[in-house]
Amino acid sequence: MNKKLKYGLWLVIVLFVGYNSVYFKKLDSMKASSAGNFNAAAYAKTYVYNKLPAIAGKAVSVDQLLSGLAANPQKTFDTYSNALDIGSVRFFWVKGSGTVTKIDDTYIYLLTDSAHTLVKIATEFVFGNALRDASGLVHINDFGSTTDLNNISAEINKLIRNEVIPPLKAKAKKGDHLTFTGAIELNSSHPDVSNLEIMPASLKIIP
Amino acid sequence: MKKIQVFILLMLVFTACKNQAGNNQPKKIAIVVSTLNNPWFVFLAQTAAAKAKSLGYETRIFDSQNNTALETDHFENAIASGYKAILFNPTDANGSVVNVNKAKAAGVPVFCMDREVNAANAATSQILSDSYSGSVDAGKYFVQTLHKKGNYVELLGLVSDNNTWNRSRGFHSVVDYYPGLKMLAQQSADFDQNKAMEVMESILQAHPDIDGVFCGNDAMALGAYQALLAAGKAGKVKVFGFDGAADVIQSIKAGKITATGMQFPQIMAQTAAIYADEYLKGKRDFPKKIPVSVELVTPQNINDYIAFGKKN
Repeated sequence: MNKKLKYGLWLVIVLFVGYNSVYFKKLDSMKASSAGNFNAAAYAKTYVYNKLPAIAGKAVSVDQLLSGLAANPQKTFDTYSNALDIGSVRFFWVKGSGTVTKIDDTYIYLLTDSAHTLVKIATEFVFGNALRDASGLVHINDFGSTTDLNNISAEINKLIRNEVIPPLKAKAKKGDHLTFTGAIELNSSHPDVSNLEIMPASLKIIP
Repeated sequence: MKKIQVFILLMLVFTACKNQAGNNQPKKIAIVVSTLNNPWFVFLAQTAAAKAKSLGYETRIFDSQNNTALETDHFENAIASGYKAILFNPTDANGSVVNVNKAKAAGVPVFCMDREVNAANAATSQILSDSYSGSVDAGKYFVQTLHKKGNYVELLGLVSDNNTWNRSRGFHSVVDYYPGLKMLAQQSADFDQNKAMEVMESILQAHPDIDGVFCGNDAMALGAYQALLAAGKAGKVKVFGFDGAADVIQSIKAGKITATGMQFPQIMAQTAAIYADEYLKGKRDFPKKIPVSVELVTPQNINDYIAFGKKN
């Protein structure tokens, strides 16, 4: 009897310790646990509709950027590019105007007014940090968490995809005259200007 | 009285000698790394050690073997043995906080490399790959490569590591916009090649019809590729990795792996060693977190890159 009681007690202890040592969580709850309280959507709205328009005049023209990259890439990167990360990926806050030559599912193609350079404005794959970083307005030390910074990029891009591009794309056609501001990503180690994409911040048809 | 004076004099001489000998010893920096069972972390640790040595420090690499208890032992040893700074690649974003705090309490600064700890003021600085943004680029390329439709599988890394979730979230922040892309399975393979192969084999039995696999690191991408090869599906399924390991760079060249996110362990390791040196020379103002950009490596730009970095 004593032996049975002893083994029983041991079994209860082992079960108790075992139950409290191991726990299972769904992968979904692990994902959700990293969400913070920062309102990235509100921040993005102010950023796109108030802060970026206020610095439109400071953007470098696409034609000036391209001629600078051809003449002196290092100086052009040093003068005009911004990035929150360290490394070779840099972003330029740009502006320009031109004539629409083609529109497809992913881009609006423009021939710029001054240098007659063909540039592509992204209308589908608007993702990444270009619009957040190019302006130089967002500073890493202003945010406690990298998740907040990631969410800012995601919300800015969502706004552009949902609110800025669709109304313009609905009425734009070949031959229209457009003005734009936006961001360009380039790798300073091997800048490929032959395939430049502009992530638009504002787009306007000039009558 | 004379004897006492002689004794005191001798003691002073010995103490002076000892201090002089101590001053000639180089200061020591510990490198505590989550695992040395993966070439990427070996490169990270060795680069950090080499940079610290070049700055005049004695170094030692401690392997935590993905075990927080062993990591705790390493921290205790390092603190007790007089290491002046720790260059740290944590095993667990939450579980490693206690170790960093222990070092901080002992006045030993900790500089995190590649992986972060979930505590704002524990580490002196955290130099981390921008995994989220790297995976956004990978996600965009994944959508383009699969032409916006198909079935795919995601292999996650260690669920306790922030990089696992940053990579997954970055990838899904793009891919989830495309209803034609359907995720059939999402499972952890702990950043391990053998485990990834086993997990992939089991997934393939349940879901033989897949078009793409997104893996949270290169080791898992290689494991997934082995499973696909054994199932006769290697050429048909697009496999994506993350790291920029030598085998995967070769595999992209050979058309076996589709793309990887190139991290720059050299930048992270060297920055951590330089920060430790600056701290030990009196600097105290360090950014709490520094993201290091990740670059997408594809068959189109593969010639710009080598293992763990890019060609000069």
